[in-house]
Order: sequence, then structure tokens, then C-alpha cells
Amino acid sequence: MADSQTITCDALVIGGGIAGLQTALDLADQDYSVVIIEKDISIGGKMIRLSKVFPTLDCSSCITTPKMSSAAHHKNITIRTYCDLKSLTSDNGQVSAHVTQNPRYVDEDKCIGCRKCEYVCPVYTDDLEQGGFSATKAIRIPFSTATPQVAALATKECMLCGKCEKVCPTNAIDYFQKAVDFRVEAKTAILATGFEQTPIEGKPQYGNGNVDNVITSLQMERLLAPHGPYNRVLRPSDGMEPDSIAFIQCAGSRDKSMGIPYCSRFCCMYAIKQAMLLSGSLPLADIYIYYMDIRAFGKGYEQFYQTAKAMGIQFIKGKVARVDAGENGGAAVHFEAQDGGGVTTENHDLVVLSLGVLPDWNPKGICPVSTGSDHFIQTVQPSIAPTITDKTGIFVAGAAAGPKDIVDSISEAGAAAMEAANYMNALGR
Amino acid sequence: MESPDKEKKILILATDSCAYPGADSVGQAHSSYPANTYILRVRAPVMFPEQFYLDCFKKGISGIIIMSCGEECPYEGAYKALATRIDAVYQLMKKQDLDIRRLRLTAICTVCNRAFLKEVNLMNDLVQEIGLPEMD
Amino acid sequence: MSDPKEKKNENSVNRSEKIGVYVCYCGGNISDHVDVEKVRDAAEKMPGVVVARTNSFMCSDLGQDLITQDLKDGLIDRVVVASCAPSLHESTFRGAITRANGNPYIYDHANIREHVSWIMHGEKATFKAEKLVGAAVGKAGLLEKLDPIQVNSRKHVTVIGGGIAGLKAALSAADFGLNVVLIEKTPFLGGNAAMLDKIAPFGEKASDLISQLAKSVLEHKNITVKTHCRLVGFDGYIGKFDLSVKTVFTDPSDHEQHPGHFVPFEGVETDTVVEEIIETGAVILATGFKSYRPDHGEYGFGKHKEVITLPDLIKQVGKVEGSSTLELDGRKIRSIAMIHCVGSRQIPGIHKEDENGYLNEYCSRTCCSSVLFMANKIREQFPDTNIYDFYRDIRTYGRGQEDLYDKASENRVVFFRFDATESPQVIPSSDSDYPLQVTVKDGLTFNEEIEVPVDLVVLATGMEAGDISDIVSMMKLPVGTDKFLQEVHPKLAPVEMAVSGVFLAGTCQAPMTIGEACNGAAAAAAKAASLLGKGLVELDPYVAEVDTALCDGTGACVDACLADGALAMVDGKALVTPALCLGCGACVAVCPSRAIDLKGWSLKQYEAMVDMIVAE
Repeated sequence: MADSQTITCDALVIGGGIAGLQTALDLADQDYSVVIIEKDISIGGKMIRLSKVFPTLDCSSCITTPKMSSAAHHKNITIRTYCDLKSLTSDNGQVSAHVTQNPRYVDEDKCIGCRKCEYVCPVYTDDLEQGGFSATKAIRIPFSTATPQVAALATKECMLCGKCEKVCPTNAIDYFQKAVDFRVEAKTAILATGFEQTPIEGKPQYGNGNVDNVITSLQMERLLAPHGPYNRVLRPSDGMEPDSIAFIQCAGSRDKSMGIPYCSRFCCMYAIKQAMLLSGSLPLADIYIYYMDIRAFGKGYEQFYQTAKAMGIQFIKGKVARVDAGENGGAAVHFEAQDGGGVTTENHDLVVLSLGVLPDWNPKGICPVSTGSDHFIQTVQPSIAPTITDKTGIFVAGAAAGPKDIVDSISEAGAAAMEAANYMNALGR
Repeated sequence: MESPDKEKKILILATDSCAYPGADSVGQAHSSYPANTYILRVRAPVMFPEQFYLDCFKKGISGIIIMSCGEECPYEGAYKALATRIDAVYQLMKKQDLDIRRLRLTAICTVCNRAFLKEVNLMNDLVQEIGLPEMD
Repeated sequence: MSDPKEKKNENSVNRSEKIGVYVCYCGGNISDHVDVEKVRDAAEKMPGVVVARTNSFMCSDLGQDLITQDLKDGLIDRVVVASCAPSLHESTFRGAITRANGNPYIYDHANIREHVSWIMHGEKATFKAEKLVGAAVGKAGLLEKLDPIQVNSRKHVTVIGGGIAGLKAALSAADFGLNVVLIEKTPFLGGNAAMLDKIAPFGEKASDLISQLAKSVLEHKNITVKTHCRLVGFDGYIGKFDLSVKTVFTDPSDHEQHPGHFVPFEGVETDTVVEEIIETGAVILATGFKSYRPDHGEYGFGKHKEVITLPDLIKQVGKVEGSSTLELDGRKIRSIAMIHCVGSRQIPGIHKEDENGYLNEYCSRTCCSSVLFMANKIREQFPDTNIYDFYRDIRTYGRGQEDLYDKASENRVVFFRFDATESPQVIPSSDSDYPLQVTVKDGLTFNEEIEVPVDLVVLATGMEAGDISDIVSMMKLPVGTDKFLQEVHPKLAPVEMAVSGVFLAGTCQAPMTIGEACNGAAAAAAKAASLLGKGLVELDPYVAEVDTALCDGTGACVDACLADGALAMVDGKALVTPALCLGCGACVAVCPSRAIDLKGWSLKQYEAMVDMIVAE
């Protein structure tokens, strides 16, 4: 390990997704110094990977990129990507964190983001940033708006041919780069660790991810994105333009058999959004949404839902029991029809599982904050101060404290910044 | 290559918040598009008077694409005012026998690579076909 | 145009003759496709350019040093960098100029990587790069030093509304160190939340939460609370607002001693009314919502006394103590029908518009959980009372809310699902034992028609925008089609209003839970804190500027202006209020005498850029 280094700041933000960025920006604008620790190689979180966002149908990148760039250029914000949080404590007004920055095998200070290494690299690998639908290289900048614009080398795929090192104009490639440990000393910390989707493998009834053309909703985001893998919506197994597309709601939420009894809160809305975008790009396709309750509760959401209905998107009330391989490479959806028809089977060319939401981070053994029975970070005053955890000095924002859409996450991030700032002010006195 | 002094130039007015980063995104994807395109970064194209467009044609610009943010315009009301202005420019262009297809108003987002390329290629095909503007 | 003006116009063009151009190789990213040295040679011959240099990485310290050294040596006073996209390194180069004690706005950028070398190569690429550098030089020659607009701001916030969101916003801002005035039109703090008993889903007592917040607010040294107080006037701009408020002081003994006297245009004054001006820096609106009032006859409301609203039920059940049977108004309540979405999720063509032609098309967000919370409470406290729940979709979206739904099933609450096109009917019961019955086509049992006799029908009434039309017109606030106050953008600026310096907190924006309202309130306070904390508001210098010598006073710019109050005619000349200007340039296009232009992005600069692009 390289020499340990200590960064001192006012506030430490764990997570550089939309909630973390907004918290950091609000604090930095109040003249507090902020360090953001991000586990990924770019900041931006889930939001930067989306196509468009409900209910305004704004392009997601257009809204996230300015916030990423303001954070990256802000004089009061330091961003460290590709980091693991090893420990986080808060005692007597002092927050201490142990962080390990993983080696990207590229010198961040030298890399100019020219991608020459990426072009010359001979190793092709699944591009998970594109839902695994297209290929990328073993060394690459993960996506066009990645921040920082610094390449990273995936050691698992790399075959050490040395081509990237030769072509790099700034000698930034460092095959011997080591993980770097550092400490952050701050007054307060905000957990903005976000969510991950429930694993597609977790639900045998829906094929465990082994049925062709049954994809996850985040994969559908990529198919719909303006800079997606195929530049249009095609079904992955054979490149066919799907005529019939179905969304299965609560595929990983409100499901006690999976240990996830809660509602994941935004799946209804993203399914409706994806359905609307699909009907734009595939005007002749039939689009179905199988659901239990449509939860369009936010500002403008119900109107969005009604618009989708008026556009001809078909909402079918019923819990889907099983999904398996169907005709012509499609998937068969078995569900109990609510019209008295009993168990019915429909064949669709493409099926999207609206997977649920799990916390992306477990504080156990790292940080002494409690989690609820749902495993999200526990908050102690959920009505009048929803960002306060049970550990003094540590706050929480966004989906880390339960599933939350972008609008609610941003609002909560602002609140977390305010609570954290006032906590620091009180320390000062 | 065509000799540069006869180049049929396309001026692109691209908004700082949407279309200009959109053009950057096209570059990052290394998509090629015609070289005769000159992208100027603007805050809001609503600032240009009718005469600006006519002057550009007079100076020898063959085509102008306004790449706005469309309905996502950060200045409320600006897009509507812009659309009205462009209609007025079309009237003036007709009076001067200028092909109104030389001026196009579009909306391009920060990652609208395909839309960007389509607009640029369409305009290029047009100006290659109809040539330099002729004005008094 | 008259001669003197023409002269003035020419004089006003002060082109820099000391432009430095710095062209980047980008380690081959540019130089592999563009002949960078040729671009440099061309740049050196451009008008106004005194020096042109190249470097393999202009963004490196070595590259930046070239610029700072030339500036320090007095060789240059304008900078053009030709390299990658400005989004990547614009701030780097502005920073370098600042380090050399230069003004950061004397710089322009030519994007010859993303817009040139990455999309083409060869002679064409070099030619285009030269043109783009030329355009930047053309603009740079006309760049002026700019300073951010600084508005001295008052470290003071006014919160309008003393409900939960208003209390939370006031407390957050005051803890930060801002002075706060909270105005509330009623004598009470707590707002609509005070009507509640316990809060879904976790069951905190509303009275405890309100008392806790109100106590902190009332004891806070930075907060002044004015109840019986209304906003009557609004003036000023971000950092410096003047609010006129009227406070009523009631003293009943006063009435006897001083029979009221007539106040012109007001009437006979019975209480003491004090009007004052609050000098403040920002305003947080926390005016709350009003509960939907069902129409006469809507689900039998007003026709049958056994039909009440959910807030009524909460109030009445809250008074029942110590009994295990539910009795209201001396009647034993054996069964209750609860109907969701009353006054919410209304659909054109199906639901009836109100007298103004409005429908509440939105979901009120809180009612599902609130209904289920009450249903559970009743089932647990009064096991003999049955609950029938008529819903369209159960929207228990939030943390802990789905548990309420599960628990309701465990508590044997009976659910019926109806379609908006076929709402349940509330009619006198055919069973003489019950006053009312609810009939419904139940979507859960294949649209079977079901009749449920009940003692009480409870309507889960939604939220409506509060009646604040006076404040809306006074402050010129944007209102959405749902009649709630409209934020600038739900994600980019979710608590900001189009009027800069005015923020939103709580249910005046949209229906939300207490937790969500408190988040919104704290977020609004955070924005106010960022804005006012330094006592100085710094705004972009990119605002319109009038050359009064050229201004003919046509007022065209004022008509075209998109920001209310940014432009006005004063003594026959246009006058810009920089703090209000958006910098969109809408005014620039319409001025017949070209007297108004945008600082930093002027029309003249664009014309110069075009000239350079077309230059032979």
C-alpha cells in the first residue's frame, strides 16, 4: 500500500449519485468544504445512466451532467472516485473515514481523456454501461459524460499486451498502480449511497435471467437512450424490432417470497415512461403493463399515467405468476386475469421486468448507523427531520434511506445539506 | 477536396445548455460529419435580430441551423419568441428570393447524436445542391 | 441613424490589439488530424493577435504557464485557447488568468477537438480549426473585463405560513444564522397538521411534532413570529425585498373602550391594525393546502348526515376514549365504508368540473396511507366495527406505508376496487337496520355488483391548492395547471420559483406528507442560506447593458423582456436591473438602434465571429 494521506474537510459525502451531488453542491455553496467519495469510476450514479426522466421527459443526461460538472469544478468540492469506504465513525463532533482508492491503472493526474488507449486495446468485453448489449474495451472511459474523464483498466479482461501504454500520449498508464489508502477528517458525514436493483437471478418464477428477451428495466433504459447500444429499440436475442412489449410490475417488490415486502416507489412511473418512449420509437408496437396498483403519486404523475392510457398503452391488472420461453423467441407471461378468465398466457416479443430496489450499501461493520427491517438506513425523526440517523453527526439522503425517485431524492439532499450545515454551526458554538 | 474559398459554409448556433454539449457528444463518439460546419455557442438564440440572419447569408454563409433546447429552454418564453422571429425571417428571406430551407430551427439535447447528424447532413445536402446564397 | 450616434457607435468598439492564442496538441488527439503549427501560423497573422503558441498539453501546468507568463509580462490582454470542449477546461484557463491577476472574462475558447479533430482529418480539419480559432479571435478582440454582479443582501428571510413546513423552514434558516420573520394569518401555528391525530405510517402524535417545532421557533433568538399577519405588498428583488404586512392586534376590552372609527377605504376598525415593511433578503412560501370539500351530493355528502370526510373522522374518533365500541353522535358504528380519491384523480369527461371549470386531476398522495392508518386504528381499538375500503389503486408508496396495507388485510379490512368510470354509489340502505349502503362493481371479484350496508361513509378527501390568489398576483408567482405553485424545474430547481430569491416549502407546491414537506422546507432554507449567508449575492455578469447615448426610448426591449422587472423605461431611456436580468438577450434582437447588448455574449461579438468564418 502506498503512503496514507489525510484529507481534512467540513463534510464528507458518501456517494456521488444525484443525491450525493446535490448535498455536496448545497453545502459547497454555503462555503463548506466537501469531499465526495464514489465507489464507481465516474460520479453520476443511476441517474446518468437513464434515458429520459418522468414526468417531464427531460433527457436525463442533460439534467445530471450540469450537476456533475458543477461539482467537479466547484472550488469547495473534492471528488475521489473508485473508492471503498472501510470505516466511518463520528465521535464528539469529529467524523473520521478510512477509504481505499482502487487502482484504475491509469494516473488520474496525467490522463487527458483522449481514449487512445481504448481505441488501441484489442480486448473486447461486454459493456455493462450499455446493459451488456454492446462491447467495450478492457481499458476505457466508461461512458461519454463520465466524470472524471479518466480511463480505467479492467484487470480481469486485460491481457497485458502493452499497447495502451505505448500509445498513451501522457504516459498515464501504470500497470503497477496500487490501491491507495487515505483518511478523511471531517465534522459531519452524509450517506447518499443510493440503491441497486433486485437481482434478475432472484426470482425463479421469472426465469432467473435465463429466458431470452426478458430484460431488466435498467437495460431498457439503455435501449431507449439516445446514445444506446443499438441506437434504436431492438430485441437483444435476434435484433428483431419487437411488436409486442410487456412490463411486469412489482417484479421484486411487494413480494414477501423474495423478502422484499415494501413498494419500490418509482417502478410504476419508470415503466409508464418507458412505455411512452417505446410507443414513440415503435409506433406500431403493442405495449402492456401488468400491475397490481399504479402508484402515480407525485406532482404531475397521475396526469402522466392518464396520458399513457390515452396513448393506448394497455394496463392489465394482475400479478404475473410466471414467465418462460414463448413462441418465436418471445417470452410467455402467465397471469391471473381479473376479468374472471382464470390463468391466462400471453406471448410477447420482449418482456421488461420492473425490478425492485435494494440498498446499495450495508453499513454493518463500517459505520455505526442502524438500518431498518427493510435494510435501508434508519432515520429517527421520519416526519420532521427525515435525514437524521441514529448516529449524531451522520445524515442520510436519497434512496439510501428507502426507495425514492429523483425529485424526492433531490429535495431530501437539500434537506440533508441544511441539517448537516446546522449541525456544524451548532458544533462551532 | 473542394477548394476552401468556395466552401459552402453552415453556421450552427448551438445553445450552451443543450445543443453545444450535444455537438461535443457527437465528437466524443467520433462520428464524422461535414467539415463546412461552424458551431457557435450561444446562451439563447432569441438574442439574434432578423437582420443577423440576413447579414450572414449576405456575407456568404450558405445555411444556418439554430440548435435550441426546444421546450426545455431554460429561459421561459424564449423559445416561443424565437419561433416567431424565425417566421419573420422566413418572410424576409422570401422577399429577397432566398430559399427558406437555408435556415432551420431545431431542438438538440446533450446526447442527441443522431438528431444532430441528421440535421447537419440534411443541411449539407441542401447547400451542396443549391449552392452559395445570391444576394444583392 | 444620425451622425453623432454613428460616431459614438464606432468609438464604442474598442478592439484589443493584444490577443494571445494558445493552440493545444492534446498529445496527438488534435495534432494527429490538425496541423497545429499551421493553425498557429495562421493565428499569428490574425488581426489583433500579438503572440500564438503551441503546447502538447495546454491544460498542463507547463501549458498554463505560457498564458500566465504572457499576461504577467503585459504582452497580452486577451486570451484564446484552442483545445478540447470548453466544458472540460474553460474553468482551468479562467483560473490560470485569475492567477496572473487577469480578469477571467478576457478569454474565449475554440473547440478544435470535439468539433474538429475527432470528427474529421486532413486539410479540411486544419482549415476548420483555423476558422474556429479565427472566430474566437474575432470575439476575443471585443471581450471586455467583467465582474460578477454583486448585490448586497440582507441576511434575513421571511417565511410566509406557520404550518409544519413554515416552522421547519424558519427553524432551519434561523439555526444557520439568518434572521427570520415568520408570518401567519391565523392566531395558530401548526397549520393543517394540527387537524391530525397521529401521523401515518409511524404514528407520531401530530400535537407533539407541532409543539416541538413551535417551541423551538418561538424560543429562537433569530426568529420573530407574527400571527394575525398578512402580506399586503411586495417589492424589490433578490437579496433586497420589501414586504408590506398588516398585523391585527385583538384586545376585546379595547372594543368596549374605543368604539371603532372609520378608516377610509377600509371600514370601521375594531382591532388595532399595524402595517409595516419587512426588509428581507429572500422569501420562503409555505402557505400550505386546503382540504377538498366534497360537492353537495357527491357520494351523498351533505344529503346524508352519515357521510363525513376523513378529517372529520379523525377529529371525531380522536375524542372517543376508553371504550372498545365506537359510538359517534350517540350512534353505535358497526360498519364504515371508506372511499378513496374523493376530489383527487378526477378525469375529464367522467368527473364534474367545479364552478370554475377545474378538475383535480392529480393524486393527493397522502390519503391512501391516511385511510389505512385510520382503518387499522379503528379495527384495533374497536374490533366490532367493520371497515370496507373502496379504492382505485392503493398507493402506499413510502417507507412503512406498505406495512399499513398488509396490516389492514390482517385486520380484515375488506377491500373493493372500483374503476373511475363506475364510482361506488351511496344510497339509503335497503336493509332497515342500516342508514346507508354502498354499491360497487368490484374489480377484485370479476366486476361483481356488491351492496354493503354501513353506518358511516368516510370520504378520503384530497388536497387542493390553498387560496392565495392575492399573494400570487402580488408576487407574480407561476401557478401550475393543478393550481399549486410551480417550481422552476422539478429536478434542476425543485424549490426555486421563477422569481429569484423566492422559494417553496411544503404543500403549497403539491400534495406531500409531513416528512416530504419538512424535506422541502429544509431544502428551501438551504437555498436561502447559500444565497444570503455571505451577505452578498453574486450573479453572473452576463446581463443586458444599455448604451444610453444610442437609446431612442422606443421601449421595444421592455416589451420583449422575459424577466418581469428586469427592464424599465426611466426618463425615456431603457434601464436594466442586473439582479433581475436572465441574460437571454431577448431584448438585443428587438432594439432598432442597437443600443442594448448582452455583456460577454454580445451581438457585435457574434458578427465578428461570422466575419472571421467567412473571411477569405
